Parts: sequence; structure tokens; C-alpha cells
Amino acid sequence: MSVTSDQSPTRQARGLSLGGLLRNEQIFLIILLAVLIVGLSLAAPRFMTAENATAILHQSAMVLIVAVGMTMLLITAEVDISVGASLAFASCVVMDVINTTSSLTLGILAGLAFGGGVGLFNGLVVTRLKVNSLIATIATMMILQGGVFLYTREAVQNHHQIEAFSLIATGYVGPVPVPVIIAALLAVVFYVMLNYTLIGRRVFAVGSNPKAARLSGLSPETIKLVAFVVTGILVGVAATILASLLNAGQPTAGRGFELIVIAAVLLGGTSLFGGKGTIAGTILGVLILKIIDNGIIILRWNQDLQIIVPGVVIILAMFLDQLRKGRTDG
Amino acid sequence: MHKSMKTLLIAAASTVAMVATTMAQETPKTVGYIVNYATHEWYQNVIGGMQDRAAELGIELEVIDANLDIAKQVSAAEDFMARNVDVMIITPVNEEGAVPILRRAKAAGVPVVLEGNPVVGMDTLVAICDYDTGYNAGVEAGKWAKENLEGPVRVMNVGLPLLSATVLRSNGFMDGIRTEMPDAELVHDLDGGGNPDRAQEVSAAALAADSDINVIYGINDSSALGGLQAWRAAGLPEDNLLVVGTGGEGLAFLNEMAKDGPLQLEAAMFPEKVGFTSMDAAVAMFNGEDLPEHIVSPTHTLTPETALEFYDFDGESRQINWERVNELEAPDQCMKYASDL
Amino acid sequence: MQQSADTAAPAPARKADHRLFRGNLVALVVSLALVIGFFALATEHFWSLRNITNVLGQASILMCLTAGVAIVFISGEVDISVGSLVAAIAIPLIVIMNATGSLALGLGGALALGLLIGVVNGYLSVYLKINSLIVTLGTLFIIRGLVYLYTGKRAIADTVYLESFFQLGNGRLWGLIPYPALVAFALVGGLAVLMTQTRFGRKVYAVGGNAEVARLAGYNVRRIKFTCFVISSLAATVGGILLASRLGSAVHVAGLNYEFQAVAAAVLGGVSLAGGIGGLIGSALGVLILAFVSNGLGMMSAPTEWQLVITGAIIIAAVALDSAKRERA
Repeated sequence: MSVTSDQSPTRQARGLSLGGLLRNEQIFLIILLAVLIVGLSLAAPRFMTAENATAILHQSAMVLIVAVGMTMLLITAEVDISVGASLAFASCVVMDVINTTSSLTLGILAGLAFGGGVGLFNGLVVTRLKVNSLIATIATMMILQGGVFLYTREAVQNHHQIEAFSLIATGYVGPVPVPVIIAALLAVVFYVMLNYTLIGRRVFAVGSNPKAARLSGLSPETIKLVAFVVTGILVGVAATILASLLNAGQPTAGRGFELIVIAAVLLGGTSLFGGKGTIAGTILGVLILKIIDNGIIILRWNQDLQIIVPGVVIILAMFLDQLRKGRTDG
Repeated sequence: MHKSMKTLLIAAASTVAMVATTMAQETPKTVGYIVNYATHEWYQNVIGGMQDRAAELGIELEVIDANLDIAKQVSAAEDFMARNVDVMIITPVNEEGAVPILRRAKAAGVPVVLEGNPVVGMDTLVAICDYDTGYNAGVEAGKWAKENLEGPVRVMNVGLPLLSATVLRSNGFMDGIRTEMPDAELVHDLDGGGNPDRAQEVSAAALAADSDINVIYGINDSSALGGLQAWRAAGLPEDNLLVVGTGGEGLAFLNEMAKDGPLQLEAAMFPEKVGFTSMDAAVAMFNGEDLPEHIVSPTHTLTPETALEFYDFDGESRQINWERVNELEAPDQCMKYASDL
Repeated sequence: MQQSADTAAPAPARKADHRLFRGNLVALVVSLALVIGFFALATEHFWSLRNITNVLGQASILMCLTAGVAIVFISGEVDISVGSLVAAIAIPLIVIMNATGSLALGLGGALALGLLIGVVNGYLSVYLKINSLIVTLGTLFIIRGLVYLYTGKRAIADTVYLESFFQLGNGRLWGLIPYPALVAFALVGGLAVLMTQTRFGRKVYAVGGNAEVARLAGYNVRRIKFTCFVISSLAATVGGILLASRLGSAVHVAGLNYEFQAVAAAVLGGVSLAGGIGGLIGSALGVLILAFVSNGLGMMSAPTEWQLVITGAIIIAAVALDSAKRERA
């Protein structure tokens, strides 16, 4: 890892203006998070318990795992709508392969390979066939939603009864659920990669100015392809956890998952147009949305609010972002 | 392939009497079934039961999947009428949204059998009794709790307030369990969305707030098992817990029962039988017979032991035992209807 | 008003674009003919006057939605809120009709709500400069949630049974052409004229092609884009009215995922997400291709999963071919 000290001058120069802005944005998110937590604690005493905190983290884990990949993808100015459909399909693959091979390792690898394969397909369609990624991945979503029922008409049940498999989602290390540890590790890895490695800099370069990136000898297509594949593999990780959590491969799972992931990433300050985004922001985005979700249940409010509130929060966050940008521009 | 042949033979043998009566009638050539969403195991088994019965009677069954799209349901009815099917069976995506279709079918002279949910202007409906199903399971759960559970009964209902049918099931369950355990308390009354991931998530939040429960009731298997998985994810012990599922739509409950874990009772609704009965109703409609407004399809509360009387289960697939299911008696009337809510 | 400045777009580029458009339209018509020909040979029930006219009626709703979505795309913005709008506007329609017994008042209520949604989308996207994909993703959620809250997730039935309202979505002219198809064709035709034969239409293309150039040429970019959002919502409202008539009620789950279908059909019809490219006739042909594929597969009793897979594949193939063609041009 010789690249960690390799801070190029251009990056530092950008760091001054952009970095300041990003920090600002995160302070806003932290304040929002704090307000939510304090407000909910006052409104519902049952909110501020260790059990509930664990439950929130547990539910945030799967979203966060895919969201870190989506952050990277959005920084390269691409998007993947197929993650929800791929999640469901991959969870069936994981369970099916473990059932047939009785091997946990093979099952997990199959899930990762499936997710990565879908990512590769998306990446190739976008970079080689030059199809807009929003359209390409909507189409992939349709293909996967149909394909999963060609693969299995029913939920793939657990026939192997491997103890370790159920521990993936339901196990604990000390007081911390396993999925939370997996998500935290991945978040750290991606944080380091995006901020301190050559790959990370290339990712930002591709998104902020593809033409310049091309001139400097980088292949934007390859970086984008890698980002798609990595996002796909992370979907495979989440799918393994989902299969373990539901104790079955569910072809109908994951509906709307893509929108939650993208909403969290955007809320975290990542730009739709590439070149800008942070893992820390994404973590905050996921936590805010999941705490809102949890709060609505704990307060016994009408659960329909669970789709209204995130909609309002995203528009509001983007608006405030716009205001801040307007001020710095002017 | 040969499995379904076997089922057919069993079905044929067990229903000689019924076949004999229907033989005397005219049978329609083609019946079109518009299914709510064929990707769900419940409907796959409804279709399976219809196919078995249609093959027996020499009827051609066509299926179009509305795939939860209310507009596609209208299109599907148009398509069937353009193909001149003799009778339509419809599981409405939404009851109100099916009213114009019924009107148009009537104008075109195509008889319609409703499955599942009633629609204004319908002639006949084939459906189970939701309240009774929940009630009977509740009574069994109360008996089971008396013998096996410690402490007062505290229930988590993984429900679906969206549909009157599922509300009736939950209400029936609580009323039933209170006949045996009058102090049974409904601790969590949840909207699990009827699907496993949502049910899991909502249950996890509820259990984090208060995990002092000992009975989980789910309005379908996805809800019950989603609740159970949330229980497991929270690391709670399974020795003082009863899970009651509803529907018995697929393999999941048979799998869970095979483990002899907390899922000890299943309010089975036999989707295959619903399909079978709908097909018979379609034939009767075709012959212009006078049918009751509601034809009840039977339900029965299963235990891990009795489940295998009704289903041959090898871990990978299940085959309904027609002989045993056709012995079940269905009431003429339900204890409560949606209009009683 | 900058009506004299509509010569801004560089002329040669435009000509090339027009050639591409025409080539695109021919390709779409040929594709549609191939689809119809294939199913006519593959399945016996497909090729009947009854079925072909049925499909036109079935496609009418998506045709209205897609026309609006396409105009917003051409202006360089995105509108994916239309799926929820369809469910929302049916509520004032049915509620007012039930209360007053007047179809006209009901239609007025629906159009008013549609107008309001378009104004909100347009104001947030254009004047508050929030990315329109985010805005309409947000309103997609918010509107659906409000529909659920207001209706308590129960459909609201039409209780006055006006014959005119029933006929609107279910009836046929001379017992042959479905009224909803006529409404959709009229809407698409009218909007196509607006986009190709008027100054406003040319401005929309200019703004979508290059907003900066259009601004320098003196166009009021904001007002033009804002108007496109309003047109989109009103077009989707017309589609929602037709759907409400076919359902005889305001159904809270109506229009779920229609936004994806409308986007897919518009893109299949040659409309570019980048703005400035494509047309309404093309996007209407895109809708018809998808509708005939869906109907044909249904006639062959192909399961839904195949319909999804095939639709997805068609979209990727169409857009890939289109972008390959553009690279060569």
C-alpha cells in the first residue's frame, strides 16, 4: 500500500473547497440524526434501549452493504436499479447451491459470483453497448424479476440445516450482530479505498471529469465496469445475509430495495452526476432512513408514513444541499 | 411429470362420485383463469388444483397472470373474451376494480366465478371462511398453550390490515384463543405486509421494544415465519414459544414443521382444494345451475403429525392427498364476514 | 417573450438528427409489424379484429403517460412520479362524481390535482433547482403514501354509475374502436403537433439539446421546462382518468411501476435521457410494441416471467442499437 501517501496536488486543491463543503453536509446530517434520536427518545421511552439500537443496526446492515457499493458507482456517474431484483435472485442461488453441495463456502461463493455476474452484465451493457445505466439496469431488473421465477417457482427452503448458515444473520459477536460487523468492515474497506488509494482517486476522476480522466491515461470504462462488478458482489454478500435471515431463498424479496439504497446514498450527499460522495455520508443516510422507519413503528404511527417521510426527507436534503451550493457559488 | 399423473389418478379415484354427477352435465370447452399473481405459492397451488380437476373433466384451462397490476386484470378479461372462453374464473387484484369487468362479461354472456374475494354484482364466489379459520386455529392454540406454555398467553399478531380477509383471520384467532385462555393478551398488532422480509423487519422492531411474548400468529406463512425469523435474529430462546401459521400455501410450513420447532399449528387453507372447487363451480355456472353466493372451501388446523395425512412431502415438493382433503366438511355459512367488521 | 430567437440550434446538426428520427420511426414501424406478424403466425387467437382493437385500448393508458414522460425527457429533465399520480387523480374524480353526480366536475377535479402535481414537480425541479430525478422519486413516494393514508388502502367505488363514465374507458366507437384508444391517439397526436409544428416545441428541443446555448439565445429555459412538467402531469392525468373508468373506482394500488414502463417505452421509442432527442410518435410506437408483445405472450399463455425477461431484453437491445447508430452517424 504505497499509495496512501500519494496525495496529488490537484486532489488537495479540490479538498480545500469541496472537502469543506462535504464536511458541512455531514454536520447537517449528524444534526438531523441527533434531532431524530433525541426526539424519538423523548416521544417513546422504548426507543432508547440496547435491544432497539441493535435492531436498528441489524436492519441497517444489509442496506449499508449495498449502499457502499452504490456510493462508488454513483461517484463514477452511473447507477444500478437492478440491485433489489438481484438480491432476491442471489438469495435463491445461495440457498440452492448450499442445498445441493452441502457446502457453505460454495453457496456463498455462488451468491457472490451471481451478484458479480449481474454487475458484469450491467457494466458491459453500459460501457460497451453505451446504454444509459438507468435504462440498462431497469431492463436488467425486469429480466431478473422474470428470470428468478424461471429459476424457481417457490421459495428455496433450507434443506441443509447447517448451523453456521443461520448464524450469518442471527449470530452475535459479543453484543454485536454478525451482519453489523460485516457491514462495518466493508464500510471501512471502502472508506480507505475511496480516500487513500489510487483506485479511489480514479473513481472520483472518472465521475467528475471523464474526458480529463481519459486524457490522463485512465480508462473510465474499466473503472465503471469495476464499480458495477463490485456493487454486484456486495449484493451477493447482502443476499447471503438475507437468505440466512429468512432461512430461505425468497424470489419475491427485495422489492423497492433499490430505491431505499439509492435514497440513502443520495441523502448522504453523493451526487447523481458523479465525482462527489463519501462513505461517512452514506452511513449517516442509511441510519437516518432506518431510524425514521423504526420510529414510525415504535410510535405506532400509521405505517404508510414509512413511504411518505423518506420522500420528504430526500427532497428536503437535496434542497438544502442546493441552497448551500448556491451560497458557495455566489 | 409422473408425479402429477399420480396425483391425477388419486384424484380421479377419490372423486368418482363427483365425476359421475358432472358427467351428466355439459362441460365447458375452455375455462380462463385470471390469477392475482402467479408468482405466489398459494396461487401456484390453486392453479395446480384447477389443472387437476380440468384434466379430469376434459376441460382446457388457460391462465393469465395479472401480476398484481389492476389494469392488466381488465386486459386479461378482454383477452379471454376475445378468445371466446366459455367461463372465466377471476381472483381480483382489487375487488372494486373488478366491477366493470363483471359488467362487460355479463354483457358478452360469459359467466364468471370469483375466487377469494367478493365483487359487487357477482353471481358466485369460491372462498374459505377467514374468520372461522383463524378462530379454529385459535382454539387449538389455546389448548396447546394450556398444556405446554408457561405464564399467561401473550400474542404477537403479524397481520395485514390492508385486507378485510386477513383482519378477519387475526380477529378470529384472538377470539378463538380466548375461549381456552380468557386472559390471552394481544401485545403486538403488526402490519407485516404479508411478505417475509417486511414481516421480519416489523417483527424485529416490535420484539426489540418488548420481547415478552410466547405466541406468534401470522396471517399467512410468510408472516408467521417472518416473525419467527425475527425472533431467532434477536437471539431469543425457542423453548417457550408457539408459532401459528395460516394458509399452508407452500413448502415453507412443512419444512418448519419437520424440524418440530415452535411452529406446532398450521391453519391450512388447501389452495389446491380451492382451485378444484372453483373449477366445479365454473362447470355448474356453465350449465346455468343455481349456485349459492358463497361456496365455502374447507380449512383445517394441522399439527406436525396430521400435516402428513394431507400432504405427501419429500422435502422438495408436496402432493395433496385428495382423498383426505375431500373428506373435510365445509360449513354452509361463515361465522363472520367482512361486512361484520 | 423571446419568440423571434428560435433559430438558435445549429442547422446541420438538426438535419442529421431529423434523418435519424425518420430512420428511427421506420425501424419502429417495421419492428411493430414484425411483432404483430410473429404473433399472428404463432398463436391462433391473436390475429382478430377484436384482439387488435383490444390491445389499442389496453395500451391507451401507458400511451398517455409515456407522451408526457417523453416531453420531459426531451426537455432534458426526468419525471417518474406518474405511476403514483395515476392513483391520486382518480380520488377527486370518483369522490366528486359520487358527491355531485357530474362527470364534468369529477374530470375537473382530476385535472386540477394533476395540474397541482405538475406545478409542484416543476417548481421544485426548475425553480428550486433540485435534481428532477430526486424530486419525482420523492413525489412518487409521497403521493403514493398520501393515497394510502387518504383511502386507508381501500379502493373508492364509483357509486353513481354514470353511463358516460363507464363508456369512456370501456366503450367502443361503432362497436369497434375503443374510446380510450381514441382519447390516447388524440392526446399523442395533439402533443406531437405541439412538439414539431410550434415554436414552443422547437424551444423544448433546443433547451433539452443544450440548455446553456438555449439560454444564451434568449429562451426562458425555466419557463419552458416548467411547462413540460405541467404537460407531463396533465397527460398522465388523462391516462389516470381512462384507467379509473376501466376500474370503475379509485384504486390505491393503481399505476404501481407504471413509471418504469413509461420510461422504458419512451426510450424504446427513441427518446434520449440526455434530452433534445426523440419524438412522441416514436414513443407511442414504443408503447404499442410493448403492448403487443405483452398481449401476444398472454395469448400464447406464456407465463409472466417470460414477459418480463423479454421486455427487458427488448429494451437493452433497442437502446444499444440506437446508441450504436448514433455513434456511427
